[in-house]
Amino acid sequence: MDLDTFLLLFAVIACIYMACNIGANDVANAMGTSVGSKALTFKQAIMIAAVAEFIGAFFVGGHVSDTIRKGMLDPTIFEAVPYHLVYGMISALIAAALWLHIASYLGWPVSTTHSIVGGVVGFGVIAGGMDVINWGKMGQVVLSWIVSPVMGGVVAYLVFKFISTKVFSKRTPMVYAKNLLPYMVFWVFVILSNAMVYKGLKNLHLNLSFNHALVISLVVGSLAFAVTKFLVKKIPYNSSWDLQKQFHETENIFKYLQILTAFYVAFAHGSNDVANAVGPLAAVVGILKDGHVHMKVIMPTWILALGGGFIVFGLLIWGAKVMKTVGENITELTPSRGFAATFAAATVVLICSKMGLPISTTHTLVGSVIGVGMARGLPTLNLAIIKMIMISWVSTIPFTAIISMLCYKTFLMFLP
Amino acid sequence: MRSILSMFSKSPFKPLASHMDKVRACVEQIKPLFDALENRDYDSVQKISELIVKLEHEADMIKDDIRTHMRQSMFLPVDKKDFMHLLSAQDDIADAVEDLAVLLRIKNLDTPEEIKPSLHELVNHVVDTAHMGCDLISELEALLEASFGGAEAEKVEKATQKLGTAEWEADRKQFKLAQGLFKLGNDLGPADLLLWNEVIKKLGAVADKTEQIGKTLRIFLSQ
Repeated sequence: MDLDTFLLLFAVIACIYMACNIGANDVANAMGTSVGSKALTFKQAIMIAAVAEFIGAFFVGGHVSDTIRKGMLDPTIFEAVPYHLVYGMISALIAAALWLHIASYLGWPVSTTHSIVGGVVGFGVIAGGMDVINWGKMGQVVLSWIVSPVMGGVVAYLVFKFISTKVFSKRTPMVYAKNLLPYMVFWVFVILSNAMVYKGLKNLHLNLSFNHALVISLVVGSLAFAVTKFLVKKIPYNSSWDLQKQFHETENIFKYLQILTAFYVAFAHGSNDVANAVGPLAAVVGILKDGHVHMKVIMPTWILALGGGFIVFGLLIWGAKVMKTVGENITELTPSRGFAATFAAATVVLICSKMGLPISTTHTLVGSVIGVGMARGLPTLNLAIIKMIMISWVSTIPFTAIISMLCYKTFLMFLP
Repeated sequence: MRSILSMFSKSPFKPLASHMDKVRACVEQIKPLFDALENRDYDSVQKISELIVKLEHEADMIKDDIRTHMRQSMFLPVDKKDFMHLLSAQDDIADAVEDLAVLLRIKNLDTPEEIKPSLHELVNHVVDTAHMGCDLISELEALLEASFGGAEAEKVEKATQKLGTAEWEADRKQFKLAQGLFKLGNDLGPADLLLWNEVIKKLGAVADKTEQIGKTLRIFLSQ
């Protein structure tokens, strides 16, 4: 076996390991609220997550990826020694995947993006010293520890307050819920389909302008609105039901919305995070092909399929176990609360990633849950866990950077 | 499994409601207790009194459990102090009923014919008032669902006002009964007089403590 084949094989395995970990690490966070509120059984949640993650990863996940995720360092420093970038990328993948593996084992909701960023910083420092790191970008990453939860929290607070005043404060909450449902479905579909068709679906070679994408998503949204309007009529309602009974039935209506947003958040996660696994592999493939380092790499379709496929695989083998525990442990969450939190998180992630802001799905969801709690929506929250979560966020980059450094050093010792 | 989903800890409102169920069970024994007393069925008085003590103990266990699980890091939609107040108020009702049960067991107490009508009135009224308090607590789940606002909050607000009136009414009935009791003068032995006076006070205490529940719930609503 020659060196190129060996490196390619090594990179593919590292990418598979990373993709599996992405699937395992975040699926519980994305789908847990739906299982917790009994909107979905754990098997249904796994099915939806698998489909949505794959669609998100394969159809929306970046067609063209920056060689270095988030522009943490300038890849042209490797122009003279392109193979060193190959070693570096593999090191970053191994470091990030290892960290994710440890984190999911311990139950820490760390960011996959930050894991890979740490890995890149690690080998970058060894290859070119501290100066090659774009510290401005690093600052953005640190900023996202604050921006993601705050954005998630604010949006979730507003979404929940809206539901609370428009539905749960009323004398006949069910009537209001039935009226509101089509509008909510409209928004979910507009945002979801817009994210799909605008700058997404590149694999289908659709290059739509924002206006075109907007028109398409409005049409999709309106269709969903009409269908929901029709279906809502079939929900039984009796005006003699007392408030408690109506609250119960209203929550059942929110179950449908929550299933929709569960799909939405898994989709957003797949599209956002697949690049962390496949980006480095694409870079490796690019270098091995022509021996040059490029700023941007074209993502071969087989790599995206590989990434998406193994995210689902990881979700099935490890994520399922985690989910099951989640479903049994959270019982205090109602579908309306779960909906508010996940809808807010998914919206923030999709909008922010389109705007190029560095944002993490897990960090946003943490903020969203607190946001609902602040709006007096949850019976209780355990704030001690927040400290642990913060520690795991802050330790992600140093950990992956050090592991990546060690791997990179090892490569340089044994390979040219 | 920890992850972000461990942010959702067990709701303390559910054990609070089960604590109230025990309190309700105590309250439900008040009428049978006085009926047995009136019929001079002292064996039954003994039995009912023991049952009340047992129920009160069970309520205590739930209360202690809630207290030990109430950590500093828990974030509630209401002030934690107010939540603890509510729990104490509930527990005080059970305590008052237990005190009543113990008082009536000290000696085989006679019920003077003259105070029977107003005693009936007070007992019935106090039990009704305590039930109103219990019903308020069973509204808590709906109140949480409505985030302590809107139509549900108005409903609870009204119920707390009614509870306040009921407590005021209980005070009046308590006063009337006390008047009746002391009018008996020397027809009643000092021991009986002393005991009956205590019993009346404890009956009043049940209503008083129930009103505390309404007051605390109103603080929840005003936040």
